[in-house]
Amino acid sequence: MYIIIAGCGKVGAALVNRLSEEGNDVVVIDRDINNFSRLGSGSNCMTITGIPIDEDVLKQAGIEKADALAAVTNDDNTNIMVAQIAQQLYQIPLVIAQVDDSEKQRAMTAMKLRTVCSATLTVESFFTALKKGEAGK
Amino acid sequence: MRIMIIGGGNVGYYLTKSLSVENHRIMIVEENRSRCEQITSDLGPRHIEVTCGDGTDIECLREAGIFDTDVLVAVTGHDQNNLVACQLAKDYFGVKQTISRVKNPKNIRVFEKLGVDSVISSTERIAGIINQELDWADVNKLLKDRSCDVRLREFTVGQGSAFEHKCLKDLSLPKGLIIIAVLRADQAIIPGGTTCLEAGDMVVVWGGEAELAAALSQPANG
Repeated sequence: MYIIIAGCGKVGAALVNRLSEEGNDVVVIDRDINNFSRLGSGSNCMTITGIPIDEDVLKQAGIEKADALAAVTNDDNTNIMVAQIAQQLYQIPLVIAQVDDSEKQRAMTAMKLRTVCSATLTVESFFTALKKGEAGK
Repeated sequence: MRIMIIGGGNVGYYLTKSLSVENHRIMIVEENRSRCEQITSDLGPRHIEVTCGDGTDIECLREAGIFDTDVLVAVTGHDQNNLVACQLAKDYFGVKQTISRVKNPKNIRVFEKLGVDSVISSTERIAGIINQELDWADVNKLLKDRSCDVRLREFTVGQGSAFEHKCLKDLSLPKGLIIIAVLRADQAIIPGGTTCLEAGDMVVVWGGEAELAAALSQPANG
């Protein structure tokens, strides 16, 4: 698969490394060139320094031929905008945006955007773990 | 009208100031607290409600009075925030009209496709004005200084445009517009009714601002 990752923070870098290991063609975009050091020396993915909400940057990343895009910068609104450009302007089949504000996440889900909210996932994990702990007593 | 403005920077501030004198109810949302206090103390006595918070946060929008809003105007300095504010307003809260500023002119098309009703790029507007007006800047400044609302403009006749091979008497120019010169190669022609326009001619027009804007926005002039 040809996959674009917007944002090379902790989540983005880990995602890039794992996807490349599995043999995907991965392009990662970040506005700060220093963030690419997170990828490690063995990484063979393509990196692009630029603002991911700029259509020219997305084109440079190959958005016209991408199979999937994950928007995982540390800014919810940037992620939402990038994901919508990919989904609605370029008809990318699989698009996911990280949205950390859970209420905003619900609003975006209602607007047909696929989202991941780390706060919600963390709470779920804790909750499940606590339930299991209680059941084990 | 009930207008909510997202972003209290320079654009938001002066927009609020201009609109508030026209008896609109203005609600403004700004993230920076000291900026909010400044806006409140400057514009407070009029009908302005200032909310300090993130204009893309659902709870903040609720608190600011989004349910009573007819028009939302997003003028923060970040395109992504303006987009999300407009989308939440329209799709989540049912605000009828959304207007957004974009910093990157390329985002005009993106915003329009993603459902924002009106998109404004000051960069594009200014570039457009410069292109139209640069050569006549001095003359036009003089006219403007004297409060005359007539201007000089130029345009070039494009190949295949509706003006090509047309005599001036056959052009249906709107009232209040006069073609004062046709510049062809090194020649300046003072035109009459039988002067015919050719591709590449630079045409100098004199007329009311509104008439000029209407006539020159037609794609026909190439």
